[in-house]
Amino acid sequence: MRAGIAELAEKLRNREISAVELTKVYIKAIEELNPTLNAYVHLTFDTALKAAEQADQMLKEGDAPPLCGIPMALKDNICTDGLPTTCCSKILKGFKPYYDATVWEKLKKQGAVLLGKTNMDEFAMGSTSETSCYGAPLNPRNTDYVTGGSSGGSAAAVCANLAVYSLGSDTGGSIRQPASFCGVVGLKPTYGAVSRYGLIAYGSSLDQIGPLTNSVKDAAIVFDAIKGGDKRDQTSVDYDYGAPLAECLDRDVKGMRIGVAEEFFDGINPEIKSKIEEALNLFEKNGAKIENIRFPALKIALPVYYIIACAEASSNLGRYDGIRYGYRTSSYTSIDDMIVKTRSEGFGDEVKRRIMLGTYVLSSGYYDAYYKKACLIREEINREFDAVFEKCDVLVAPTAPNTAFPLNYRGASPVEMYLSDICTVPVNIAGVPAISIPCGADAKGLPIGMQIIGKRFDEATVLQAAHFYEQCAGEVIGAYEGGARV
Amino acid sequence: MAITKTEIEKLARLAKLSFSDEELERFTAEFDEIIAFADTINQSIEGGTEQIRSVGARMVSFDDLRSDEVVPSLPNEKILSNVEGYNGFFSVERSKK
Repeated sequence: MRAGIAELAEKLRNREISAVELTKVYIKAIEELNPTLNAYVHLTFDTALKAAEQADQMLKEGDAPPLCGIPMALKDNICTDGLPTTCCSKILKGFKPYYDATVWEKLKKQGAVLLGKTNMDEFAMGSTSETSCYGAPLNPRNTDYVTGGSSGGSAAAVCANLAVYSLGSDTGGSIRQPASFCGVVGLKPTYGAVSRYGLIAYGSSLDQIGPLTNSVKDAAIVFDAIKGGDKRDQTSVDYDYGAPLAECLDRDVKGMRIGVAEEFFDGINPEIKSKIEEALNLFEKNGAKIENIRFPALKIALPVYYIIACAEASSNLGRYDGIRYGYRTSSYTSIDDMIVKTRSEGFGDEVKRRIMLGTYVLSSGYYDAYYKKACLIREEINREFDAVFEKCDVLVAPTAPNTAFPLNYRGASPVEMYLSDICTVPVNIAGVPAISIPCGADAKGLPIGMQIIGKRFDEATVLQAAHFYEQCAGEVIGAYEGGARV
Repeated sequence: MAITKTEIEKLARLAKLSFSDEELERFTAEFDEIIAFADTINQSIEGGTEQIRSVGARMVSFDDLRSDEVVPSLPNEKILSNVEGYNGFFSVERSKK
């Protein structure tokens, strides 16, 4: 197993390696592999080396936090003061925010070293990262396949050892699905557990920032560092988790009630189904109790998600008018013409599709039939989740109904692509936490992800179950051979 | 329900977007499929009459809102750093050829 955050932190503390040396190892690996993988879209090596020097100073003074000097990456929709943040969209090309997102502010204070911003679907709208204006990142496991999305670059960078960890955002599966496709760990925290201040909004009632890592322990360490309430995000909650979650991972699963809903397995690739069943057997053999449960509302979670997410997106993306930042069209006849041309030239097709759907479901005459109805069904889905968690401690499900798609796959219509989010979107609708961890590979060697879903603010149980599986199952998918080695 | 090109054009105007003839053709066909997909919620279970709350509203007590304090705002020059400003304002020419 490759070195995790705790091992690297130990080496840094013992001065076996300096933060500057460690950063240079990652920079070299990025220079070698990124031209092929396209995981990063903006490289910040100069500021990374300066941050590494400061981290070395902090380490020398002693008592440095666990993430001090650790090289990492941020998704291109998380604001970084003075450094490019473009959501991989032409409409934000060249944009440099003038403030830091709260998550980045927190990590910076702890001595984190930012290597660059990672590739993603334009405005986080997609499941393959192919809607990026910089071209798609490639899956390090097999470069003929996509990374998944929308946090595809963040997953690829961690998988290929081009960052020790990264942050992504998850509106309908955008951390968990690429984690599944690339064979890494991805945690979507409870809605409100992590501040969204400085995360460029897509669907504000669904968006949540979380870590992508190579182990469950690393995910817990990063979550511990970024969680917490924030005055600048009124939906964030200062929840008292007690001790750091990374210190409470060792727990067996004896007596743990694991729910399995058949609705999550409808239409799932049989290879994925069989790997999840193997994992469930492992849990059961170790004393967990498997509960078969029903979850009828899951079937309609997808249209509910797309209606709510697109409605919120159509409002959130109204701010891109070419006046205050980003792209502006070169020729126009009036201010209104400038705004329409700027938006039509600046947004890609998938973003336009979602803005149009959002505008439609919010428009007079359709609001009740779509948006209001979707909000009511959201309540029903929430009630079903509450009922399930009275009987179970966690739910286990596939992360995605399929493994990674081939690049440039043209066989699917937009709606067929939306259907591939079936296993992840219910979690965002209800605002509960969920993790995706690797649980094997298909016949082509492409990773399969297992999702563990928990109660609101019960990341502890989710992480404990995932950590138990990871320790017990051993190496279910080989580590990527290239990239930085320490 | 088949959506027409005229409806798509009206929707585009509301969304401050415009489409070329070729794009309009393609978007209309795709949008038909997308609306049919969205329509599946209308054949589903009833959501009941309980008041709609957002996920945020489940977490946040309205007794617990932050106080309305005036805090320093970002300096003008920073806000204008991404565009060519004019005397401390955002600027747009009336028309540009």
